[in-house]
Amino acid sequence: MAVEFDGGVVVGADSRTTTGSYIANRVTDKLTKVADYIYCCRSGSAADTQAVSDIVSYHLDFLQSETQEPPLVRTAAHLFKGMCYQYRDQLSAGIICAGWDKKDGGQVYSIPIGGMCVQQPFAIGGSGSTYIYGYVDSVFKTGMTQEECMKFVTNSLALAMMRDGSSGGVIRLAIITQKGVERKVIVGSDIPRFYEG
Amino acid sequence: MSIMSYNGGDVIAMMGKNCVAIACDRRFGIQAQTVSTDFDKIFEMGPKLFVGLPGLATDTQTVAQRLKFRLNLYTLRENRAMKPKTFMSVVSNLLYEKRFGPYFIEPVVAGLDPKTNEPFICSLDLIGCPMVTDDFVVSGTASEQMYGMCESLWQPDLGPDDLFETISQALMNAVDRDAVSGWGAKGYVIEADKVTIKTLKARMD
Repeated sequence: MAVEFDGGVVVGADSRTTTGSYIANRVTDKLTKVADYIYCCRSGSAADTQAVSDIVSYHLDFLQSETQEPPLVRTAAHLFKGMCYQYRDQLSAGIICAGWDKKDGGQVYSIPIGGMCVQQPFAIGGSGSTYIYGYVDSVFKTGMTQEECMKFVTNSLALAMMRDGSSGGVIRLAIITQKGVERKVIVGSDIPRFYEG
Repeated sequence: MSIMSYNGGDVIAMMGKNCVAIACDRRFGIQAQTVSTDFDKIFEMGPKLFVGLPGLATDTQTVAQRLKFRLNLYTLRENRAMKPKTFMSVVSNLLYEKRFGPYFIEPVVAGLDPKTNEPFICSLDLIGCPMVTDDFVVSGTASEQMYGMCESLWQPDLGPDDLFETISQALMNAVDRDAVSGWGAKGYVIEADKVTIKTLKARMD
C-alpha cells in the first residue's frame, strides 16, 4: 500500500511469502528500492517482481548517470509499466511505485496485473487488499499529515493481515521525503488489534 | 486445491506423566479468507476423553455429532464410561464405513482410562487407520511443522504444567509457519482429578 502526502509518500507492506500454504519467509521485505527516492511495493510472483524491479533499478541508475539528476517517479512507473505490459502473458506482477521527486513531490502509481499504469492519491494491492477496500475508502481523506498517513497504512495493513491467510508477519513502512528514506518495522503487540470475534 | 487444506486447522496431543494434553488452533477459514476465530476442533466425548477433528470443517461438525451419538448409545447400553482405546475403534469403524467416500478428517484422540487413569493418545487417518504412540500425535495442515516442533520439544514424563507449556509452544510455533492455521489456540490438560482448559494468546495473522 502507498499513500501520498504533502512532502512525500508513505509506503507499507506485510512480510509474508508463501509457497502453497507453507510460510516460506515470515519476515520478507516487500518494499524494494529502485532509486534513492523511489520505492516499489511488490505483490504476485516473488520471482517476477524481483526480476522486473532489478531491471527497472538498473535503467534508473543508468538514467541518473546520463542526466546527472535523480529520476522522476513517473519515469520509474512508466518503466515498470513498459515491462509489465509487454510481458503481460508471462508475468504475474502487481506493483505499486511510489516516491518523491523535485518536480512533482510525492506520487503514487499503481501498476496492477496486465500492465496499466495510473497515478492515485493512494493505492492498495496484493491478495489482502480485497478485504480493506471498504475500510480505505471510508477512512481516506486528502490533506493528511505524515503521521496520519502512517497510521492509515498501519491500520489498513493490520486489518488485511488479520483476514487474509496469505498476509501476515510484521508491518514494514518506508517514509520517503526530500530528506531521504526512513524505514520502520512494527512487530508483535505494536500491530493494532481490532475486533477479533 | 486440496480438500484437506480448504478450511485449514491443526490438532496436537501429547503424553505426560499420568496426564495427557490436547490442543488445537481456532481458525475457520475458506481458503485464504479467515471467517471466524472461535472454531474449536476439540470435542469432549467423556469426562476424561477428548477427540480433535482437524480437516474439512463441515466434516468436523458431522463426525463430532455422529461420534457423540454412538458414544451415548454405548454408555446407555453398557452403563459405564467408554475407554479411550475402545473409542479409537469406534472412530476407526465410523471412518472405514465411508472407505470409498470418506470424511475429510484425520482425528486425534486423547484421554485417560476411566478406571485406571492410564493416559492414552492416538491418531487416525481419514479412512480409519489407527496409530497409537507413547509420545505425541499431530494432525492438520501444519503437520510437518508440528512434527518438527514435537520432535525437538517433547520429552517423556512431563508434569501437567510443563506438558501444557510444551504442547502450547509446539502448536503455536508450528501454526505460525502455516498460512491457513492459527488465529488463536486452545489447550486442554487432562489429569485424573481435573481438566484444565486454557485459551492461548496467539498471533492473529
